[in-house]
Amino acid sequence: MPLFKGTLDVIILRTLSWGPAHGYAISRWIRQTTQDELTIEEGALYPALRRLEERGWVEATWKTTESGRDAKVYRLTGPGRAQLRAELSTWTRYVRAMKRVLETEPSEALT
Amino acid sequence: MRPDEELPLSRELPVDEDVRRELEHHLAERERELLEGGLSPEAARAEARRTFGNLDGVNAECRTITRRARRSVRWSRSVDALAQDLVLAWRLLSKTPAYTTAAVLTLALGIGANAAIFSVVNRTLLQPLPYDRPDELVDIVQESGQGWWSYVPWANMLDLRAQSRSFDGMASYTSGFTTVLTEPGPVATRVASVSQDYFATFHVAAARGRLPAPEEHRVGALPVAVISHDFWIRQFNGASDFARQRIRTDREYQVIGVLPEGFAFPEGTDIWLPIELFGMTTSRTAHNEATIARLRPGATVASADRELDDLTARLASLHAPDFDALGARVQTLQSRLTTTSRSPLYLLLGASALLLLTACTNLASTILARGMARQQEVAVRLAIGAGRLRIIRQLVTESLLLAGLGCLAGLGIAYALLGVFTQLAPASLRLTTMELDGWVLLFTGLTGVTTTVLIGLFPALRTSDASPGMVMRQGGRTGRGRSEQRIWGGLVVAEVALAVTLLCGSLLLIRSFGQVLEVDPGFRTDSILTAEMDLPTAVYADDTKLRQGWIRMLEAARTRPEVARAAMITVLPLTYNPSGSFGIEGVPTGPAGYGPGNGGYRMISEGYFDVMGIPVRRGRDFDRRDVTGAPATVIVNEALVQKYFSDRDPLGLRIQLQSGMDQQGDNWLTIVGIVGDVHHNGLTRPVTPEYFVPLQQRPSRGSSGFLVVRARGQLDALVDPLRAALRAVAPDVVPDFASMDSRLQGSMTDRRFTMVILSAFAVVSLLLAGVGIYGVVSYTAAQRSREMGIRLALGATPVEVRAMVQGHALRQVALGLLIGSLGALFATRLMRSLLYEVQVEDPQSFALAIGLLFAAAWIASFLPARRAARLDPMVTIRSE
Repeated sequence: MPLFKGTLDVIILRTLSWGPAHGYAISRWIRQTTQDELTIEEGALYPALRRLEERGWVEATWKTTESGRDAKVYRLTGPGRAQLRAELSTWTRYVRAMKRVLETEPSEALT
Repeated sequence: MRPDEELPLSRELPVDEDVRRELEHHLAERERELLEGGLSPEAARAEARRTFGNLDGVNAECRTITRRARRSVRWSRSVDALAQDLVLAWRLLSKTPAYTTAAVLTLALGIGANAAIFSVVNRTLLQPLPYDRPDELVDIVQESGQGWWSYVPWANMLDLRAQSRSFDGMASYTSGFTTVLTEPGPVATRVASVSQDYFATFHVAAARGRLPAPEEHRVGALPVAVISHDFWIRQFNGASDFARQRIRTDREYQVIGVLPEGFAFPEGTDIWLPIELFGMTTSRTAHNEATIARLRPGATVASADRELDDLTARLASLHAPDFDALGARVQTLQSRLTTTSRSPLYLLLGASALLLLTACTNLASTILARGMARQQEVAVRLAIGAGRLRIIRQLVTESLLLAGLGCLAGLGIAYALLGVFTQLAPASLRLTTMELDGWVLLFTGLTGVTTTVLIGLFPALRTSDASPGMVMRQGGRTGRGRSEQRIWGGLVVAEVALAVTLLCGSLLLIRSFGQVLEVDPGFRTDSILTAEMDLPTAVYADDTKLRQGWIRMLEAARTRPEVARAAMITVLPLTYNPSGSFGIEGVPTGPAGYGPGNGGYRMISEGYFDVMGIPVRRGRDFDRRDVTGAPATVIVNEALVQKYFSDRDPLGLRIQLQSGMDQQGDNWLTIVGIVGDVHHNGLTRPVTPEYFVPLQQRPSRGSSGFLVVRARGQLDALVDPLRAALRAVAPDVVPDFASMDSRLQGSMTDRRFTMVILSAFAVVSLLLAGVGIYGVVSYTAAQRSREMGIRLALGATPVEVRAMVQGHALRQVALGLLIGSLGALFATRLMRSLLYEVQVEDPQSFALAIGLLFAAAWIASFLPARRAARLDPMVTIRSE
């Protein structure tokens, strides 16, 4: 299932809301939680991360990970957190509305 | 290393590296995971690449985004830094208000004065005249020996025009203040009579209607006139049917055209008439019209001058003895029109340049003093790791802020000065609508800003060649004694020298002005109201009507209770000076039938000398005996007697009016009185021979003249009733009122203007020098406070210490005074023509200038020196 446009940003922000993570960790987390239902080209993650950084929603630092490699670690900023809250509420309402439309059956004919 | 610890690299990797390493990290981790899942190394690598997608594309996209992001961050950071620098600079400057005010004011005065003066100079001297290819337009006069010149006679002009090869058009013109009768009513204005090629020479065409055709430039042609755009609007409301308008002066003219807006040559002319209508004299010694011409492309002023000299010589051989020209003088119209204002304006321009120089010198010493005091601060900041660039930026910001404030204040001063100029300026400068010249403002502004910034950088540059530690060890004391002393000394010397030059110049002008005020004009000016008027020939057509017209107006004026006495004269002192030759009984005339006498010719009514307070030295004033039919009489002034009757008593002798004067009746006039001299041509001009004939006997040249009235009370209160009384008896005459006092003042406006402005400059430069010396002495005294503390502790008295500090400064002042006086001796030579009865090297002025400056310097150095000497030695020694 392909990703809706713009959804990747929310997914990244949500992922980072659990704590700082490097790109690969984010990509692994998405893969695991969606159980491969969403097909994301893993490479697409990185431009998205950098755009979020440009907007000031995340910030990045180079750190040495447990495996001993240098990794660029991203962290949610204050504005990023606010953005995530706003997007979450939009998404929740959207999903709720979609669900209602798709699942409710009419009690009489619509015409 | 703990895993969470930031690498030193964390600051910022180069973009390419940053992206490459991040993506490599992803691929490596993915590969490892796949390996753990049991794939072969090759398969794991391939699978990692496959799931990643377009590696190169992602790489490029990431780099683009990050580059863009970093650029915008850098920009916003530098804006922040600038704002910070500005706030910091402002805080520093406002902590030292005296320094800031001094520096800003110094800059402002230099910039303001220069911008204002140069705007005036540019406008009046350098801007081209508003005509097509104005540098081709020239004025031509003829030389008549010993630096004298006169207008080219009509007959000569015709010959020169026909024979010369240097010109594309040549024309004659005259103009005068005339009452013109128009349909809306009479109006007094300037009317020019111009010859056929006049407008073609200017390359001017009619904006509406047409110009006079060649056949209208002829005796007996139908009289036509063209009018200025201004007159068309003012008098005819810009109506398109101007062609039905008639205007009357000596005869009735049909208006046929309107000239383009802005064309009014000679200055202020509203109406142009064909001069040929009046019938031109063929005399080659009648100098009545000015001559204008346009140089042909390729001809120069010098080549045209040479050609006309040759042609004049040829004409002389043909027409002698009725010929009085030795050669011709060609000069550009521009230089001709600015003859009188040129030297004062160049003087002021030079003075304002000196002022700018003084201001910059002063600024240099002020900023330098502060910069030296800040050396230690700079050294400390360098030592704790501040970047040199960062410090330089801070200093530049501070200087720019200072310079910006100075420029702003300078703009204000420039506008204020222009306001003063327009008030004070002589009419000849025509400054009524003055604008600041943007380029000048830019130039002076840049000069000030550059000075400020360059000198502001001093502390940063100076510490750059010494290690910060060295400067700090010196405790901020200036280390390089000798060279530094020389800089300071040099600045003081320069300030003083510049100021003394300006001061000498202005004192010379002030003394000149004083001398001018001492001059007795020879006539009274208090309580005298004058009215210039032109009696239109259309109404006052002959001698009888002219005489009756004047007598009616004089009687009307005398009936007013506010009027004590009233009289008239054709040519009032301080206006212009028409003169004519006369014969003397018993003395042969010159070769051409003229002379030997020459003098100013005036026609007056009874009582003129009485109103003006001009004493009758011998003989009598005109009275009821001097009427038509009675023996013709004349009164002469003492200058005429001295020149022509030094060896005999002129009373009862006769002189003869010659051509150009009125010829009718008895030409031989008996001298009945001798009156005192007046400075007719201005207070600074010598008195000249004058002779006066009575209105009753010779009214024929009295179509224009001046009513002079002695008032009993306020002059202002007299104007309206007098105007009404005159209108009742002469409705077609438009009088132009001015008090005799204001006429006298007006004759000195030029001189006063130059004097006031130059004096203002001199005072400012005196103040600047004072402030500069004060600053330098304060600073050097502060630097030496430890030394002085030791001296005091070792037993020197405060007076001795004060004298030592002050003496040092005064030695430099003395050197400056010496150099400045020598400079002034040279510079004031250039203003010789502006002085009156004062020598260029007037010892009094020089002594006063030197004295004033020395006094100012003494005070300016005394205050800080005394403060330094009063310090408690224990405190100053310990303080370091």
